[in-house]
Amino acid sequence: MTSRDIAYYGEPALSPATEIRLIAFRELRRSVRSIKGVIIGVLTLLGAFVTSLVCTWMEGNNRDIAKVATNEQYLEFKKQTIEKATNDPAFAAYAASIPTSLLVFLKITVWLGPLLIALLGFDLMSSELQYRSVRFWTVRSRRWTYFTGKMLGLWGVVALITLVLNLIAGTVATTKGFVTVGQLATWGLRFWLVAVVIAGSWAAIATFISSCFKTPILSLLTTFVTFFVMWLVSLIGFFVRAKGMVESGVEKDMQWYEYLYPNTYDTMLLAPETGRVLTALGILVGFIIIACAAGSFLFQRRDV
Amino acid sequence: MPPEDVAASEKEPASGPAEPKASAKASDAPPKEPAPASKDPAPAPSKPAGDDPRRGAAKADGEVVVPPSPYADAATGKAKKKKARKEPEAAVRLRKLTKRFGAKTAVDEVTLSIPMGQVYGLIGPNGAGKTTTFSMMAGYLHPSEGRVEILDTNPYEVDDLRSRVGVLPQDAMLPANDKVGEFLVHMARLQDFPGDKAEELARQALAEVDGKEWWNQRCGSLSHGMAKRVSLAQAFLGEPEVVLLDEPTAGLDPRVAWEMRQLVKAKKGRCTIVISSHNLNELEEICDAAAILDRGRLVASGSMNELTASNEEVRVKVASGTKRGTQTGQVPVAKLEELAMVRSVHFDDEAGEIVIGFERSKADAETVIGHVLWILLHSQVRISGVTKGRGLEQRVMDLT
Repeated sequence: MTSRDIAYYGEPALSPATEIRLIAFRELRRSVRSIKGVIIGVLTLLGAFVTSLVCTWMEGNNRDIAKVATNEQYLEFKKQTIEKATNDPAFAAYAASIPTSLLVFLKITVWLGPLLIALLGFDLMSSELQYRSVRFWTVRSRRWTYFTGKMLGLWGVVALITLVLNLIAGTVATTKGFVTVGQLATWGLRFWLVAVVIAGSWAAIATFISSCFKTPILSLLTTFVTFFVMWLVSLIGFFVRAKGMVESGVEKDMQWYEYLYPNTYDTMLLAPETGRVLTALGILVGFIIIACAAGSFLFQRRDV
Repeated sequence: MPPEDVAASEKEPASGPAEPKASAKASDAPPKEPAPASKDPAPAPSKPAGDDPRRGAAKADGEVVVPPSPYADAATGKAKKKKARKEPEAAVRLRKLTKRFGAKTAVDEVTLSIPMGQVYGLIGPNGAGKTTTFSMMAGYLHPSEGRVEILDTNPYEVDDLRSRVGVLPQDAMLPANDKVGEFLVHMARLQDFPGDKAEELARQALAEVDGKEWWNQRCGSLSHGMAKRVSLAQAFLGEPEVVLLDEPTAGLDPRVAWEMRQLVKAKKGRCTIVISSHNLNELEEICDAAAILDRGRLVASGSMNELTASNEEVRVKVASGTKRGTQTGQVPVAKLEELAMVRSVHFDDEAGEIVIGFERSKADAETVIGHVLWILLHSQVRISGVTKGRGLEQRVMDLT
């Protein structure tokens, strides 16, 4: 029995997965074509190029300070420095192998990721609610698949932008001779995946917020405020941990604040231990699932 | 008719006195209680089975014959045997439907049943609750109380209604960045038509609204009239069984509005169409039946003939200054009353209008008009107009 046959028997026909795919791909196409999407894309790419140059300049500067001529010498220098700091030769060897310029670039992109996602996603649902375009879809698709498709569309756009950013950064670093093609294929790919997974959490949260408003500007402001508050809370958690306040016992309960912020998990995702990577991955997927479930639930119940 | 009467009358059997055109005209079909198609040999205008891919036609021996359908084979590309879906009892059914926005009650316990195959109007002044009722039918708004059923299904059950219900929302903007063709194909894909078939249907739907050349235009670049027609194309995409149209001609110039009406008329009999509008002339022209809403409550419903009393009453406008009497040029009221089919004659000499009530079991409106005009012309009365019934506009003015 084909899906079309099922339709005639009054049972579910178009699968939720197909609905999500159709909506997500349309969203991708729409974002790439929209004026806002093009402007943000161009600005981001220009910014990425400049940032890549800054990152490579920083690494070049480090090498000058270390007075090393080859990559091998620089690697050895990094290894010794980290080993001195951690007293852990295995970890030092692992951490030293991470290309510095790409790591710095990852940190910058992950840090700026929420800003990009807020700008791309604030009107994802809110403008459709404001102009009631959503009404063309609600008679044809389940609301939760519409929400999820939209979210995945946004995530896809961000993943594409991030891929291009990483390619730019990788190309610049490779041209300068700081990164080999092999490192680019392994570490570069891993950095991109880390950025994508974290972007997924932000995309889900941004879509959720966007679906709560009919006025895009309110959605934008709320998204910014929410992201800022999350960052602030994580900062409190970070300082509590960094300053050793946990041991003092006073702010013991506050250390977990840091983990409310998806960007916190970038280090865990780059850790050598599989367990830590999987834990971080699980938590970030949890962010996505919770935001999607809550958004779908509210969208299902709301009037459009 | 007060709402409670309406609700009560829904339970009455769909029977009426024999009338020359009653069995053939959709507008004369009993307005409220939809008779199941299988039991009613002469239902309101319903889609011929051969035109409807989702309905089967019953042979005399009861065997279900499914006609070949351009949509049915879309997924497999070959002819298939299919069982017909159970014929819904009504296209739309509202039961004590209520919607509140805070303290304001926009729709108040509306009970209504729209039979399959009719063109049905939702009428009322601004703020009457038409669009709110419409939005609940389309699943845009959740009722505060009561129940909505479309084709015996909750409108939120998108999967059961996919491709069976088309909607033209009143003020929904088309996605500005999408090309018209892409948008329609995407809509068709979500209705479960495969890619190539979706494009074929989209082109067909666009051609029906006379917009073939807009295929590659961005929706954002369309004029209001063009956008409305594209919206209409998406509503009729894939020949749905029920189409809900909210103010389909609002804001359109007369020519485009006329074209839209022609399009809706062309669809008449092929699906159930519910039109929400306050353009009464338009509704009187298009609809078989209607419901009149006022301040959120249902104040009347029935066939257009019932609402306008066009099969019970004839109105003749005469030249101003015309008096009652038996002289030449005067209205011979007594002679008119002598007509066998006439029940009452009322002449308002100030308004210059004669209202002739008649027994619809004895004659139809056209026969009565013929007799009345014969008498008036013999009396050399100067006639300026003749209408069947009081007109929907007058009826709505009386009720709201």
